[in-house]
Amino acid sequence: MSEMWINMGPQHPMTHGLWNLRVKIDGEVIVDADPEMGFLHRGIEKICEYRLYNEVVTLMDRCCYVAGMSWEHLYMMAAEQALGVEVPERAEYLRVMSAELQRLGSHLMWFAAFVQDLGLMTPFLYGMRDRDLVLDLFQAYTGARMTYEYMRVGGVRNDVPVGFTDRARRVMDWLDQKIGEYEDLCDKSDIFVARTQNIGVLSASDCVNLGVTGPMLRAAGLPRDLRRDRPYSVYPELDFLIPTHEGADVYGRYRVRMEEMRQSIRIVRQTLDYLDRHPGRVLAERVPRFVGAPAPVPGKETYVLRRGYPKGRGFAAIEEPHGEATAYVVNEGAENPYRVKFRSPVMVNISAAKSYLVGYRVSDIPAIMGSVDICVGESDR
Amino acid sequence: MRPKDVVPEMQRTFPDSVLEASDRQGILARVRIEPRAILPICRWLRDVAGFCHCSLVAGIDWVETREVLYHLWSDEMKVYLELFAILPSDDPHIDSVGEVWRGALWHERETWDLVGIRFDHHPDLRRLFMPEGYQYHPLLKSLELHEPEELEVKARHV
Repeated sequence: MSEMWINMGPQHPMTHGLWNLRVKIDGEVIVDADPEMGFLHRGIEKICEYRLYNEVVTLMDRCCYVAGMSWEHLYMMAAEQALGVEVPERAEYLRVMSAELQRLGSHLMWFAAFVQDLGLMTPFLYGMRDRDLVLDLFQAYTGARMTYEYMRVGGVRNDVPVGFTDRARRVMDWLDQKIGEYEDLCDKSDIFVARTQNIGVLSASDCVNLGVTGPMLRAAGLPRDLRRDRPYSVYPELDFLIPTHEGADVYGRYRVRMEEMRQSIRIVRQTLDYLDRHPGRVLAERVPRFVGAPAPVPGKETYVLRRGYPKGRGFAAIEEPHGEATAYVVNEGAENPYRVKFRSPVMVNISAAKSYLVGYRVSDIPAIMGSVDICVGESDR
Repeated sequence: MRPKDVVPEMQRTFPDSVLEASDRQGILARVRIEPRAILPICRWLRDVAGFCHCSLVAGIDWVETREVLYHLWSDEMKVYLELFAILPSDDPHIDSVGEVWRGALWHERETWDLVGIRFDHHPDLRRLFMPEGYQYHPLLKSLELHEPEELEVKARHV
């Protein structure tokens, strides 16, 4: 049969967002792939240049709408380095707790969407139900379920409310028990196993050369995780493992993410214990005033101090739920950043699509692309 | 190779092309290189120094000049290295490093799209985010945020 290009997207149940996967097929077999991005490009890097340092936080929640806390954490670390601001230890623990809760929320969202792509409806409902428990926790201490605007240059906005830690522990116990149930649901389903094993294979050396990171890389057997390899925040004080798998296929990525959720629960429990024992400040005492000063009242424009910081550049790298995310903030002494640059792990993981799609069949595409865990808001920025 | 040997070795191997190196918080070093020598240096960094992962390619518009920077990661040393080159802004171009790290190809497309730096010998230097036929490079300082743009966008694919 002759070859032809087909568009899967921009509106397609497989895409989970707005992007277009063009695949060239010969009969049922994929011979070429060309992902097309940009449908969700909002120019976040450009808008950042026009905002005060704290005002960028709102954009970070919208950057990746399933992992807002991780992106807030990333940007804040880079901005604080560029401005030379120290963070109190309790705020660091609150940030790490938020980032790990977010990893749970993001992986549960991934799990729900992924199994639904494979046609399993029940685990989808379970996954969404349990993700809501995590979102309830976010709502309890940030007031929002998705766009938190929680972190600030120099710390976090507020402490957790009374009784939060006990509530969070109950949720963690529940999730710990339920993750085993999900694994049973999937691993004992012949359809699930048949549709995930030995497809979408991308070897470790290809992953490294293509820049693929995160669970995809760890599913190929390479234990690179920036929380361990380049420790940031308070991760060196926490005890957790880096799960890997040898399969390098869709099933391996599923295994790695399930195990990562267990490790996240472990980390959250440790941070909760810390929060119980160590009360203290959550925002640095000395933060440059106009980092987040409100807009000037008309007629009182002198309210915002036009004073500069010493110049500096900030660089931060975190292990986001999808992979290695980095932020680069250039501070030229003005009240706005001169240039902000983000590395999106999803964009790079999609860019390698040709390498893990060619040779498989059209019906494998939802399973393979589902295992990449795509968040288009983050890849297009 | 030990982390502290990387920059001295680099300077010894490429005496004319490594222009300056400075310490940076959180990064092994920030090394300025001659744009012409980007490919030999990157091959050396990957094969000899072990920087197997190209994390990022980005551009910064300094109005008179443009800066292109590369973040590289080594799995053995567990460090980032920042390479950068200064290009003239009337004709900013540099060789593509796609043949060293294939993962850099899309970063270069993005940098061309948003900052207008051309990457020579790139196999597929199309715009990544903005539509084909878009006239501007949005992250240039000459383009104001709320400036009205004339959009004449061709349809993408038929």
